[in-house]
Amino acid sequence: MPILIKLFLSFALIGVGAYGGGLVIIPLIQHELVNSQGWLTFNEMTQLISVAQMTPGPIAINAATFAGVRIAGLPGALVATTAVVLPSILMLSLLAPLMERISTNTHVRQLRVGVQIGVVSLIIFATWSYGSGIVGGWLDFAVSALAFTGLVLTEGRVHPVLFILACGFLGLWLF
Amino acid sequence: MNCFVPYRSVFWTFFRIGLFTLGGGLVMVSVMRHELVFKRRWIEEEDFLAEMSMATLVPGVIAVNVAFLQGRRMRGWRGALIAVLGTVLPSVCVILMVVWVALPFFAHPGVAAFLRGCALAVAGQLAFTSYLFARKYLMSLANVALCAVSFLMIVLLKLHPIWAVITAAGIGYFCAQLSAANDDSSESTLN
Repeated sequence: MPILIKLFLSFALIGVGAYGGGLVIIPLIQHELVNSQGWLTFNEMTQLISVAQMTPGPIAINAATFAGVRIAGLPGALVATTAVVLPSILMLSLLAPLMERISTNTHVRQLRVGVQIGVVSLIIFATWSYGSGIVGGWLDFAVSALAFTGLVLTEGRVHPVLFILACGFLGLWLF
Repeated sequence: MNCFVPYRSVFWTFFRIGLFTLGGGLVMVSVMRHELVFKRRWIEEEDFLAEMSMATLVPGVIAVNVAFLQGRRMRGWRGALIAVLGTVLPSVCVILMVVWVALPFFAHPGVAAFLRGCALAVAGQLAFTSYLFARKYLMSLANVALCAVSFLMIVLLKLHPIWAVITAAGIGYFCAQLSAANDDSSESTLN
């Protein structure tokens, strides 16, 4: 299969799975691009996520463009970015006229509760699989723990990007 | 409030939001609300909130979903596509610049150390998100059990992570169905 079609399918799958916020795409990207296809190394993926977080715009779009251009140049970037938004746009186009009825439907609401719990397990899984990949020693662990503690103590009052930048400078000094 | 908004204004409004908002989709949605509802008064608050809940019903990038629905409200299908394009284009341009200009420097020891620090912070951020979600959704034993089952599905069977969501949705749906059916019968006997 040509690489652009493979890229399209991978990112369409990532777009379908991204349910409930930007960070949910981390486990999907790790699975699709690193473990399953081998297009990126784990280290390249962590750089991609960091850059996607620190640049403006939705994380999923930034990550798709970044990975697409790394894997197959400019056409790759366009294909990956289109693929990541296409499934939800198609779904919205089909469902938008019926949305009033769907969002109050009890079956849909019940399904939604399950989906939310699935997303929680996905995020816990991502914390483990991403964390065990990047944390290689006590010093690494201390940096991650510091970011975690800072986020818990400030509880959303401080922009998360500031913590990422702060740890970047800490890394510059430590590593 | 059916004021006429030119395509040009739709595009540039979403483009500006896409270019100047750091921190991902949910932050962008709150900026969109501020711009479209309060500042420009193109959309009623009530309509915006209704469409925001629709946008979270469908998977995908939340900011793009909201842009699509608001664009459609303002100028129909063409408006929807223009709003999506406006939201996505700044990200694509900025990332292409980063890759073409900055990527050669990623191997530089200083830059690599900086990025490593950032990546470690992302691990902390994931742990923090787990904590927030767990506090919100895992407050009953049934929910914890469902979460554990879907977690074990992907860890033990090494399935695609998307199966965690599919499993939880499936089991959650049928279990909730059962209890809902019981509620109905108890209600009917009471009446």
